[in-house]
Amino acid sequence: MNGWILAAAVILAGGVGATVWGVATGPLRRRVVAQNLCTAFACPALLLLSQGYDRPSYVDLALVLALLGPVGTLVFARLLADELADDPPSAWGLTYAAAAVGALVVPAVCVAAGPSRAMAKLLFVGVLLIGGNVVASRALSGGFPEARHG
Amino acid sequence: MTGRTTLLAAAELLAWWAALAALWLVLISTVDPLELAVGAAVAALGALAARAARRAVSAW
Repeated sequence: MNGWILAAAVILAGGVGATVWGVATGPLRRRVVAQNLCTAFACPALLLLSQGYDRPSYVDLALVLALLGPVGTLVFARLLADELADDPPSAWGLTYAAAAVGALVVPAVCVAAGPSRAMAKLLFVGVLLIGGNVVASRALSGGFPEARHG
Repeated sequence: MTGRTTLLAAAELLAWWAALAALWLVLISTVDPLELAVGAAVAALGALAARAARRAVSAW
């Protein structure tokens, strides 16, 4: 047990646990936001575990999750567009908090990796994570007007 | 196709290929000649697909 694994455990228990509870209970607007934020917490946890166990392959898991998590949110946003239109979810505080977790974790593991291709890969995962989070959140809370009539 | 559009098409394909090949280099674990060859080929296919997608959407 080292600091990385402990931090990953805190993020998993606190963040992912809270989002699993949010997905399972409450009104629709809370559930979709929780589904979106689940990725934003699980991806940094995987990066921390990769550093804690010294297994670079876990970064590949984080990469795939950073790509597919927002895609899942976009699928839900599309399928639930009618129900969400009456009551658009807006949880920008939580979204920015989740993005902040990512923004803290990614530089930490980058510093631990040292300047190398591995650091470039971690930065790429971080960009995907935060960008995907923002895109998916915006899609949930009203969408992209220029794409609505496409 | 005129000479100018051919040149623009080739430049766009080259730019996509460079970006995708750089991404491949970042994402692979060990760099050896087989990885480089596969990366170059896959980046070329990806460049063709990216340019076709961009032309189909026609709004960047």
